Parts: sequence; structure tokens; C-alpha cells
Amino acid sequence: MKQLVLFILLSGLVCWMMFAPVYKHVAIMRQALLQQEVDYLLEVGASGTYGHISEAMILASRERLAERGFDPDDLVYEVSTTSGVDATDSARPVPRGTGIRLVIRYPYKNLFVIDRLVGASGPDPAGMMSASGMKMSEYVPDR
Amino acid sequence: MYKLVLFLLSAAFAMMLHASQLDQEMAVRTLFWAKRALNRAVHAAAQELDPAALSRGVPMLDEEAAERTARAYLQANLRLDGDLSPLGDSFLQSRVEVLAWEVIQGTESFPYTYRNEPLGFAVTLRRPGVIMAIRVEYPRLFRLLGPIRWDLKGAAELVEP
Repeated sequence: MKQLVLFILLSGLVCWMMFAPVYKHVAIMRQALLQQEVDYLLEVGASGTYGHISEAMILASRERLAERGFDPDDLVYEVSTTSGVDATDSARPVPRGTGIRLVIRYPYKNLFVIDRLVGASGPDPAGMMSASGMKMSEYVPDR
Repeated sequence: MYKLVLFLLSAAFAMMLHASQLDQEMAVRTLFWAKRALNRAVHAAAQELDPAALSRGVPMLDEEAAERTARAYLQANLRLDGDLSPLGDSFLQSRVEVLAWEVIQGTESFPYTYRNEPLGFAVTLRRPGVIMAIRVEYPRLFRLLGPIRWDLKGAAELVEP
């Protein structure tokens, strides 16, 4: 009987120990995938061929991340430039010398719910993890 | 009773293993993150052509503007302030040191090989460019790992306009 009571008391702790590391790993991997996507979009977008991060590129990026288990509708993309011009217009690329800044955000959702078993609250489910980067555009208009 | 103590001890040990694994994963991620920030900083600096020299036909970099730009991009990507100390929302917790900063001008003969013995770094440039090395310290989440410091080296050549 004593053992049964102990088991019930400890079962929450055991569940947490078994599954919490997996969720932490998922959080790290999601963050890494977001960062990889930011790096890829900046590498392509700031190159001399494009000079912009258009809506079409963002749509393709959403699809890529959806393949990795993200919900494409929850992804938030923020594109800005150091000079304040719009970087999402493929007809008017950002010229050389201007930095393109990209931030991708994604909500934590229920990744940290399991921590409640041991009394830790973790980040707010509506809070966002984010990955960001800034790269100087190489685009030079044809003369 | 001793079973309970054994259980708790082994549980603590297992959690320690998980924590150190988590920290190592984060460390590798941070290394790549910092390296890319450095790459973007030198890439941006290598685009700071001196227009006056270019009009004379010599591809020269504006050293002052290049350094300013490199620091600005490093600050924006790693979330640092003007002193290269981390801002409140930065993942880093200690100041980033600049170990080397070199601008290779168009007046050198190319291919130009830059060597830095203390850092164990050598790079050959075919065009004028910028070389930068920084030291980044990983903010350990748990104290299970020893302190981790990286000397990151980056080089970029002039992007032809």
C-alpha cells in the first residue's frame, strides 16, 4: 500500500522526466529550423540576383517549414531594411549597401505544458520564439 | 526506503545527462549563429567601396566606413550595443571581443595571403577584402559544461558591383 501511494506521488515526476527532454529538444530544433530558414532567405534575398524577399519567396518558405511540422498560418514574417524602403517588392529590389533584416516568429504553443507537472510554468503558449538576421544587399541595377 | 533514495539519485543523474545534452545542442547552434553574424559583418564591410578611389580606377575600401559597417552588422545580428556588450534580449551574456580587424586594399598584389599565427588562421584573397576575428563566449544554461569560448574568423572579398 505504501508503495502504491509512493508510485502515485512520483508518477507525475516520472512522466515529466520521460517526456520533458523530448519537448525541450523539439523547441531547440524548431528554433534551429527557423534560424536556418532566415539564413537561407537572406542568402538568396540579399544576393545580386534578387535584392528582395518577395511574398512568393515567403510563401515558398512557409511551405518548406510546413513540411517540417510547422503550422504555416502561425508563422509571422517581418521584412525590413536599414533605409526604411520596402524589401518585399520584386519590381523594386533593395540596392547594394542597404541591409535587409528578416525576423520569423512562431508561437511556443503547448511545448512547455508538460513542465506544469513539476510546477514550472515556462513561457506563455502565445509567446513567440523568433529567429532573425540582417544582411547587406548586393543588388546592383543593370545599367 | 533505500529504493526511493536510489530512484531519486538515478533520476537526478538522468536529468543531469539531459541538461548537459541540451546545453551542448545549444552551444553548437550558438557557434553557427555567431559565425553567420560574423560572415554577414565582413560581407557588408567588403561592400564599402571608396567612391573617390574607384573613380580613379583603383578598387579601395573605405576603411572607416567598413569598420563602422562591420560593427553595425555584428551588433544587429548578435543583438549587441555600441560597445559590443549584449543587449537585454541577446542570447549572449558577455562582451564580444574583436581579436583581429584587417582591410586588404586594392594596392596589394593578388592573390594575397593573410596569416595570423596566434589565431592559427590563414586565408587567400583574390580581390580586396576584409578580415575579422571575434571571440564569443557561450552563456552556459547549466554549469555542467566547462566554459566555452570560440575564436571565430571571417573573411570576405569585395563584391564586384
